[in-house]
Amino acid sequence: MGLDRRGFVKIVVGGVAGTLFTPVIWKSLDDVSIWSQNWPWIPRLNKGEVKSKAALSKLCPAGCAVKVKTVGGLPFAVVGNTANPLSKGGVCPVCAAGAQLMYSPARVKSPMKKVGEGKFEAIKWEDAEALLVEKLTALKGQNGKIAAINGDETGSAGEVLSGLLAGLGNSGCYMMPGEKFVAEKGVKLMGGSGQPGFDIAGSDLVLMIGADALDSWGTTVANQKAFAATRPTGGVATAKFVYAGPVLNHTAAVSDKFLPVPPTATAAFALGLANLLINAGAVCSAPDFAEYKALAAKYTAEEVEKATGLKAESMKELAALIKAAKAPLVIAGASFGQGAGALDFVAGASLNVLLGRVGGGMTLLPAAPKAVAGAGASDKDAGSFLADVSTGKAAPGVLLVYEANPAYALPQAGDMAKALGNIAFKVSFSTYMDETASLCDLILPAPHPFERYDDNLNPYGVAKPTYLAGKPVVQKPVADCKDPVDVLLGAAAKLGLSLGFDTYADVIKAKAKALGADFDALVAGGIWTGEAKGGSLNLGASALAKVAMPKADDKTLALAPMSNQAYGSATLATPPANLLAVRDTELSGKDLFVQMNAATAKKVGVAEGARVKLSAGKGELKARVHLNEGVAPGTVAVLLGFGRSAWDEFTKGKGDNVYKILTVSDEAGTGLKVWAGSTVTVAKV
Amino acid sequence: MAHGATKEFKVTWGMVIDLDKCTGCGACMTACQVENNIAPMVDASNKMRTLSWMLVFELSNKKSGAEAEVAYLPRPCMQCGNPACVPVCPVVATEKNEEGGIVSQIYPRCIGCRYCMAACPYHARYFNWEDPIFPKGMEKALSPSTSARPRGVVEKCNFCHTRFMEAKDKARQEGGNPEGLADGAYMPACAEICPTGAISFGDVKNKEHKVFDLAQGKDAFRLLEKLGLNPQVYYVSKREWVRKLGDNYAATGKPGAAKKHS
Ligand code: SF4
Ligand code: SF4
Repeated sequence: MGLDRRGFVKIVVGGVAGTLFTPVIWKSLDDVSIWSQNWPWIPRLNKGEVKSKAALSKLCPAGCAVKVKTVGGLPFAVVGNTANPLSKGGVCPVCAAGAQLMYSPARVKSPMKKVGEGKFEAIKWEDAEALLVEKLTALKGQNGKIAAINGDETGSAGEVLSGLLAGLGNSGCYMMPGEKFVAEKGVKLMGGSGQPGFDIAGSDLVLMIGADALDSWGTTVANQKAFAATRPTGGVATAKFVYAGPVLNHTAAVSDKFLPVPPTATAAFALGLANLLINAGAVCSAPDFAEYKALAAKYTAEEVEKATGLKAESMKELAALIKAAKAPLVIAGASFGQGAGALDFVAGASLNVLLGRVGGGMTLLPAAPKAVAGAGASDKDAGSFLADVSTGKAAPGVLLVYEANPAYALPQAGDMAKALGNIAFKVSFSTYMDETASLCDLILPAPHPFERYDDNLNPYGVAKPTYLAGKPVVQKPVADCKDPVDVLLGAAAKLGLSLGFDTYADVIKAKAKALGADFDALVAGGIWTGEAKGGSLNLGASALAKVAMPKADDKTLALAPMSNQAYGSATLATPPANLLAVRDTELSGKDLFVQMNAATAKKVGVAEGARVKLSAGKGELKARVHLNEGVAPGTVAVLLGFGRSAWDEFTKGKGDNVYKILTVSDEAGTGLKVWAGSTVTVAKV
Repeated sequence: MAHGATKEFKVTWGMVIDLDKCTGCGACMTACQVENNIAPMVDASNKMRTLSWMLVFELSNKKSGAEAEVAYLPRPCMQCGNPACVPVCPVVATEKNEEGGIVSQIYPRCIGCRYCMAACPYHARYFNWEDPIFPKGMEKALSPSTSARPRGVVEKCNFCHTRFMEAKDKARQEGGNPEGLADGAYMPACAEICPTGAISFGDVKNKEHKVFDLAQGKDAFRLLEKLGLNPQVYYVSKREWVRKLGDNYAATGKPGAAKKHS
């Protein structure tokens, strides 16, 4: 277009300069404005009846129960579902962008087959499914040859994946990291079993150690609602919230107290509190109390101060607050929802035991019934599996990747992406062209949450067994996609296996039935809840004996990955609509800013804006420095979610990926792989 | 309208934003963009070009360690009782004369001179440097509430004006009083979506509405109060340093720490 509207207005204005203050000219300019704004390239609005339909939006890790507003049948906005007791009308910033994400430029539009390095060709569904069956048939019955990585902790799809693999004589179904997995191991170390739950709404003091409960830990929106209920605007707060962690994050911002604790010191901090509480008279009937008491005695507030820089006084004040509370609750986790050790969990949870809050504040959920017979436990981790693939210890020929992005979102991501290269045939079931899909040989596009059936059982954090389910909001998906579970069930049938179901909807119906829930009520936006089971826990003293006081070291900084829910997750790059929320002190052009306090920056010899390189293991991250006094001493905070190498123009190549510099270590005594306590070196470039 | 005078309305729509509840999650910003068809920008880190009708500022008490505090301050258009932007518009493209007190922006009249932007001390107004280009197909997810604006015009939050019209229509159809909507009958997108309920909305002159009391609470304040623009957006915080920043903002005429994210 030779002359755009602004240019046009400018020319007219130029022509009349000098007479601008006569109203006649302004009137004719007004007409020019109206005329020039009627050009056809201004998008037209959709017409039709506006409706609102219940949906389960699993765009965020916890899943939001929402209502999708449609005009003429097309979704355009997401609002809360006030009738749903979990989300209570709230929506997280990612699900808020849900309707627009249906049309994300990163969507996989049809099945694709790899035809060369980074090159794909669109193929028909029948060819794609035949190819999948062919590859599975070839390796059927050879254990270790077919593997799957699942990134969906709460859906019944995992059962179908695991059931299919079992039917094919394989047991390699691996989970992407999350807190549920670690917490369940922690509960075992405390002599119990099951998924722990946390009743924030029923507590009058909530201490969050690491766990960013009001932004990205657990059922975030439900947590936010519980928090909000305790502080009526203009009224008196009925509960206290305290955040102890590496960064003054969204949770800390609204908490009554923030205690800067480096991510390497989560367990030591909790034991320090235990010591103060025991000294102030706390006792409990757990069989290992004496052992625990002796252990905690080593963690005096002064020792913890020496190791972490956290003032002993702050810890003592906190202990007094806890003592004064009637119903305190401690939630421990990693500040970014993964990579913490079971010992970090146990150290936090042991405080609940000590305070007599197991069964009240901290609960245990009973084992959930399975819909698919033959589905195994989901307790194997994808990181260890890919590490084995890279050394040749594991050598699968086919890998199925479901709602997971291991090439981007596992520690030492660069190595993980390379390890994927050792697997001859990789299939990605993904809605979006993510880093992993772009390395796969076959991409089978999955529907967007508003186009599919899905369910959500016991999202981590809920205090009671909880089940949600959703059905499609639209008649027809935007892309040529198929439900991954339907595809897997179809493949199973062709391989001569029967998993007992033809469609994912049937699986979910069976799951609902097994729980005693009403499927129709669920997909209409309802919820099913059960009761937590009884049972006690010990203090985990023998496991906690392995906790070590963190050592300050002059050469490295503790690395605190920071998650900001609006900026996306492992399986979702920042939604285009949410880029506006990213601050220019976080990302500027293509530069990511890492954050540290002024004293740390001085120690490292860098100033605001300096270009730096963070390295650990084989990974490197390039960024600039932003000073933030809310970062714990000796710690560098790095936002998760940037440095995408796939996706779309909105996200690709912006910033760097912190997963590249997370390093895995073995947790003493538990055999778990951990990376929440990673350290890095920082160098000026 | 005369300079320096607050125009009184029977109904005065206002917001009371509880800064002690806002976690800075950004859901309100997303909901606002969706409701008002703001096209996503490829480089949204260029804050001189972005359109943020709702913008969540980060405020800091500038202390360190356990003393450090931050607060998030969502900033829509203040819909001032005595707006600085209205009198400077040469083509009357922005007005304050509708019952409810919402400052309008009439896009077809706007010639993009940006005098209003310069006049607004809250930086609540934005200029369309680009045409609204949505990624292919995404125009199917446009909200029916608001027309997309072409490049060359100024735009801003209008308290989701279409929702106001719809609420009045609904009241009419149901035999209610469109000039005396019940509390909650009209709710802007940001207030509706906020997961912590930090944003309360209603008629600040109507005793039946929650915001009536909230706006008069002892911890309530408005930004740049001293300028006398009489904003219809109130904030609440028990934290003195936060309230003081609201004042500082007034004292210097600059958004101070809030400027960090503009
Ligand atoms: S949605 Fe609510 S909590 Fe989130 S940033 Fe906006 S006002 Fe704050
Ligand atoms: S009232 Fe409407 S237009 Fe204004 S900030 Fe909120 S959502 Fe945006």
